Amino acid sequence: MSELSVNHLLGIKYLNSQDIQLIFETADHFKEVINRPIKKVPSLRDITIANLFFENSTRTKLSFELAEKRLSADVINFSASQSSVKKGETLIDTVNNILSMKVDMVVMRHPNPGASVFLSQHVNASIINAGDGAHEHPTQALLDSYSIRERLGSVKGKNVVIVGDILHSRVALSNIFALQLQGANVMVCGPKTLLPKYIDKLGVKVETDLRKALNWCDVANMLRVQNERMDISYFPSTREYTQQYGVNKALLDSLNKEITIMHPGPINRGVEITSDVADSKQAIILDQVQNGVAVRMAVIYLLASKIKH
Amino acid sequence: MNVLIKSATIVDSKSDFHNQTLDILIERGVITQISKQIKNPKNYKEIKLDNLHISQGWFDSSVSFGEPGYEERETIENGLKTAALSGFTSVAVNPNTNPVIDSNSDVSFLKGKANGNAVALYPIGALTKESKGEDLAELFDMKNAGAIAFGDYQKPICNPNLMKLALQYASNFEGLVYSFPQESRISGLGVMNENVTSTSLGLKGNPTLAEELQIVRDLFLLEYTGGKLHIPTISTAKSVELIREAKQKKLNVSCSVAIHNLVLTDDELHTFNTNLKVLPPLRTKDDCNALIEGLKDGTIDMVTSDHNPIDIEHKKIEFDYAKYGTVGLESAFGALNTVFTIKKTIDLLTKGKERFGISSHSISVGNKADVTLFNPNIEHSFTKENIYSASKNSIFEQHKLKGKVYGILSNNQLILN
Repeated sequence: MSELSVNHLLGIKYLNSQDIQLIFETADHFKEVINRPIKKVPSLRDITIANLFFENSTRTKLSFELAEKRLSADVINFSASQSSVKKGETLIDTVNNILSMKVDMVVMRHPNPGASVFLSQHVNASIINAGDGAHEHPTQALLDSYSIRERLGSVKGKNVVIVGDILHSRVALSNIFALQLQGANVMVCGPKTLLPKYIDKLGVKVETDLRKALNWCDVANMLRVQNERMDISYFPSTREYTQQYGVNKALLDSLNKEITIMHPGPINRGVEITSDVADSKQAIILDQVQNGVAVRMAVIYLLASKIKH
Repeated sequence: MNVLIKSATIVDSKSDFHNQTLDILIERGVITQISKQIKNPKNYKEIKLDNLHISQGWFDSSVSFGEPGYEERETIENGLKTAALSGFTSVAVNPNTNPVIDSNSDVSFLKGKANGNAVALYPIGALTKESKGEDLAELFDMKNAGAIAFGDYQKPICNPNLMKLALQYASNFEGLVYSFPQESRISGLGVMNENVTSTSLGLKGNPTLAEELQIVRDLFLLEYTGGKLHIPTISTAKSVELIREAKQKKLNVSCSVAIHNLVLTDDELHTFNTNLKVLPPLRTKDDCNALIEGLKDGTIDMVTSDHNPIDIEHKKIEFDYAKYGTVGLESAFGALNTVFTIKKTIDLLTKGKERFGISSHSISVGNKADVTLFNPNIEHSFTKENIYSASKNSIFEQHKLKGKVYGILSNNQLILN
């Protein structure tokens, strides 16, 4: 059986298209498993995984934990609302303390870009990045692409627009890399204050008019406005943001085709998308959540198999 | 100290012996004879080294040591030793210590610590009290103690009126004001150059605009106030253009560039290596080329290593938290020598003193011996073993550099590697 080209999942930019293909094929298998009456496989009985969350998370953490448990791994959880540095202990020390308890794999969320790359350079464990600042959130991008593949048959050649706060979004960045790797066309759309000035150099189209963006796309991935990452206000009010970048049913119905709506969650209902859109059959938001478990099982399984070799 | 230097190629455009390979006799710190085949008069120490070249002693206008307060980064004693082994005989030292060098007694402390050393230490006093950017420090008093210029290291003066007053006030006694070129409200929380690499790494960008806006502001202020302004470590193509125009207008402005900003670019940061985290940040190839051009046409007055040792505890951490800075004295010559001819490299390493009122001594009979000894041709990969500083944070680690420093002879002392 083929294996991943990497020993860690630090970001999509470190993967190749065969890696993504392999993850998806493995996820197909696990998706079938989690829909069985007995949702568990014994694959990772000898593996211990630490989930280290230095930043708040609900769904990603739950999704990882569930994925780990369904693979029969032993799981420990560590949460700290703020970085360990502020408490006096360095990140390397914190993680090495946990690793000395014979942990094989670390799933880490951290507020600083590059934290998981940094960790992988200094500790001896397989690292999965569960989001590092505005850098990457690779499993989210994988499950997003997996969900597009499931809904539309493939990702290649599809037009995907990512709408909202691109500047502060690791989801946007990982999605751009993942979609491009699979041959999709990517556009970003949002107010100029929330678009990185040089984002076009990543080979994406840039649009500030939501209607034009929606008319162009097959899939719209609506990002949450990340107020907690903003050091100053990038737009005057949520109300005004919604007027320009919120998707409602009327807007969707006025398009000349039926597009697919995605959202990485948690949704600010009435801000990025209205409830009737979120709950419509065009939205695949809950499919994304379900696929998240299967995709994370695949990633963990494939990385764990490299540890054993 | 009496020394006979054998067969050294003199690289000193101000000397009659420029480009000639000769013997040099130095007695009690003074050059007493330069000619072919000098006989050793009294069993003096002889220096015979492979492909030996000699120039005026090198000068660096922006060096940080930690003492007082941050001795874990670097002490004055080891800092000056590092300078000597790296070929520098004079260094201007930044006030970024704890406490900040912002009074006569602080300046005197530094001068006292360096007294009698082979390397001359020239303190830069803080422009504002505690470098807080609020009230002017006692500039005149510090000048009397030996401060050669005034600036808050890497801390821009946000308030334009304060900078206006500083330029006006310092002009009373021909004081030279440093203004760090960064509009902090534009740079925000940026930690590297704003460009495609910062975008792809998710690191907050520090746009070139932040530097250029501040330079425009300061040049406007200078035009209004008169006075003497030095802009340390410019890093963008447009900054070069702005200063070129200002010099055409005959404004009394000088500027420097950090050597790493001539050689390295922001795309090297792709591994989140905190040793590459410097301020101003590494920019693009176009910026490097414009800065090199600026040095060639004289727009940029001098180069600096912007030497700033940072202890490992402040570097081996997440990129956002790591402190800015790189050691630079040790790699200055080797890096510069990969960009320029040896003549230009030496020209740049010996430039800038006059701006600070520091005298230089060309290689001529009767002059004080203030010289650097080196071999320009050895190529090597720069490693931690090449770092003499207490801290090992080098931006040039693993880079190919060209040239080896043998040492210095200065203040009647010989220091060799």
